[in-house]
Amino acid sequence: MADFNVSTRGVGSVKVIDVKGYLDAHTAPDLEREFNKLIDENDFKVVVNFDELKYISSAGLGVFMAYVETMRENSGDIKFSNMQDDVYNIFDLLGFPVLYEFFKDESAAIQKFDESKLD
Amino acid sequence: MNLPFAKLIVSKKLESTILVVLLVIVFKFIFPTTESWAAKIFGELLVFFALLLSTIYAAKFTALRKDNPISLLINSGILNAVVFFLIALSSTLFDVLPKLSSSITLIYTIISLLVSFTFMLSVGYIFSSLRELYILKQKKETHKSYDSMVTFFILSFFAALIPDTESNPNFVGLTLFVVSILLIVVNSFRVSWIAFLSKKQKLSLLFISTLLAVLFGLNFALSFDESFINQMLVNFSPGLHIVFRIVMIYGTIYSSIIFFTALFHLPTAEAFDKKVAEASSLKSLSKLITTVFDFKELADTITGLTNEVSNSDSSWLVTKSGDEWELSSVSNIGFVEADEITKVLHQEGILKKEEYITYNKKKVKVQIKNDIRKFEFQALAVSPLKVHNNNKGFLFAVRRYNLPFEEDEKKSIQAFADYAAVALENAKLIEESIEKERLKSELNVARDIQYKIIPSQTPSCKELDIAAHFIPAFEVGGDYYDFFQLTEEKLGIVIADVSGKGIGAAFIMAEIKGIFESLTRMIESPRDLLIKVNQILSRTLDKKTFVTAIYGVVDKSKGVFKFARAGHMPVYFCRNGGTKQLIPNGIGLGLNFQETFDDTLEEVELQLNENDVVALYTDGVTEAKNIHYDEFDFKRLEETLKDCAQYSSEYLKNKIINKISTFVQGNSQYDDITFVLFKWTSNNKSSGVN
Repeated sequence: MADFNVSTRGVGSVKVIDVKGYLDAHTAPDLEREFNKLIDENDFKVVVNFDELKYISSAGLGVFMAYVETMRENSGDIKFSNMQDDVYNIFDLLGFPVLYEFFKDESAAIQKFDESKLD
Repeated sequence: MNLPFAKLIVSKKLESTILVVLLVIVFKFIFPTTESWAAKIFGELLVFFALLLSTIYAAKFTALRKDNPISLLINSGILNAVVFFLIALSSTLFDVLPKLSSSITLIYTIISLLVSFTFMLSVGYIFSSLRELYILKQKKETHKSYDSMVTFFILSFFAALIPDTESNPNFVGLTLFVVSILLIVVNSFRVSWIAFLSKKQKLSLLFISTLLAVLFGLNFALSFDESFINQMLVNFSPGLHIVFRIVMIYGTIYSSIIFFTALFHLPTAEAFDKKVAEASSLKSLSKLITTVFDFKELADTITGLTNEVSNSDSSWLVTKSGDEWELSSVSNIGFVEADEITKVLHQEGILKKEEYITYNKKKVKVQIKNDIRKFEFQALAVSPLKVHNNNKGFLFAVRRYNLPFEEDEKKSIQAFADYAAVALENAKLIEESIEKERLKSELNVARDIQYKIIPSQTPSCKELDIAAHFIPAFEVGGDYYDFFQLTEEKLGIVIADVSGKGIGAAFIMAEIKGIFESLTRMIESPRDLLIKVNQILSRTLDKKTFVTAIYGVVDKSKGVFKFARAGHMPVYFCRNGGTKQLIPNGIGLGLNFQETFDDTLEEVELQLNENDVVALYTDGVTEAKNIHYDEFDFKRLEETLKDCAQYSSEYLKNKIINKISTFVQGNSQYDDITFVLFKWTSNNKSSGVN
């Protein structure tokens, strides 16, 4: 199977998860582990950077659905950024843009978190 | 001897023997003593055949005891004793009998016959016993030296007829006798069977062979005595007397060789016994490998046999269960004790190396509840159970009281552990494959059920030409399509895709089927219906799972297709050789259970023209991949629809299947592939999307 890679970095109070490669039923657990770590450390503001993601399957989409509630309950969120068109298309068809915030680039997403903090 | 005669003798041993014996008796009554050479030779021939046949007959009994050489020797000993008793008895009566017997010929003949037949039978039995011992554990089929020895025995028999006096000794007979003895010596060294006896048997053999050597020797020596019995025997048949003498010396030599061989084998007997026990333990284990597939039973046998092989007091076996070591079987030690000892050894890091280790004088302190127990093992062996360099567990063997393990015992524990590892691995694999087989058959049942959930036929009516297709990626899948005849005029069509694959998705798919079956009868509007479906699914779907669906209703009287899309793939609408994607708003079922879902969901109405085609499909179609991870994509689907929308739906369906399979080129299917096509075939007025 194709590769998948996930890593997390902190930008201020926001955590950015970089996902790379193919996110499907086999690789989804790696991403879940990353989210569990963030929750354990009380990091609820998450931006997922899709810059290098090539493919996402329904199992991959399910990961965000599973964690978004927890993040929002703790005044955080999962925001998406840097998505390529074909990947965005999958999210779009499913109606994700109605439920999640999508940004052209990572900094805009982080900025959105910072703005809401000021409110 | 010609062949039929030989066959007759072999098949009717007893009858032929009795016949010849009777002939001898008759002959001896007619010619109690004779000086005629012809009669003498004829008499000797008869006696020879009687001896030959009784030997062949006796061989029938000795052959039965070939697995028990000691019993053969004991029987020979008893016969020897009888013969010795007869000879000894006759010597004491030496003075009395001759006078009696020479005067009364009849009584003499009868006694002579009785005595001679006793000798004949003894010689026959003893000789065939010795022969049986000779061929015992022999690998070769041909026995040249043995055959020549027997030939010399026969020659000696007949050579005895030649008169033997002081002045003119029987040199021929003497020469043959000496050669016979030489051949006896040569042939007596065939005693390899002694090696296979247990130590106890070897000890008793030592005793028996001494006794036999003495008896044989005495009988041999007494055969030179001028005793009454000897004279009687010589009178009866000089050949028999000589053969008796030869067999006695044969017995003496053979018994002596047995004695020395047994004596020399005695020091190694114990080691030999142990090796035999090991071999038989390994043998029973290898038999178990092929017959016992029950893991627990096998583990118990292994620990039991380990004690036997290594003479250890206790043994136990641990196997890997996940990342933990789990005690699988104990022999001659408490379960809790073995478990605690293993833990202590594990803490000491002994198990980390996964190597064969032995210890002398190993102390282990364990705490069981509040009780601290000290174990002082004289020897401890820890052997990993490795299969293909992969450690599956450990076999422990300990001695509490005896001396430490010997080098060969250490080796045999290790060899045994290797064997056991393979056996246990086999049992495990078989258990797993049985389990797999069971799951496979369950999945097959699930698949059959799923194919029953999917409609086996598409509805047929004059206004619509419908075709549909469903191939799950695995045995079962999460795709679903269905048709509902709502009224005479209205046909409901649904296509849905449950996120994820396999059994989990299939369960939800079945649930969706149930929901649609009941709701389509009650709710007319596709939008309202999907909103209700979302509400119902909120009770069962987990957070990660969602379902995309399109539900629509074709009104045949108006030529209208009214539908709503809940996050599903775009609808393809084909008209006049062109295609168009229709993506009305709507989010997937299960993504949101609040107003957002309801508010977003849009219902559209499509006015159908003659030959308009509507294509509904799941992402398995557009995401079908070839080996380079390229996707079939919208582009290829669109092309196919454009090219073939003019033909029947069935043709179009086959074309799509064809294109997909040509594209993926044997690459395995990742996702369920489902699509529904329908073509409006009735004339209608308006056109376009409302």
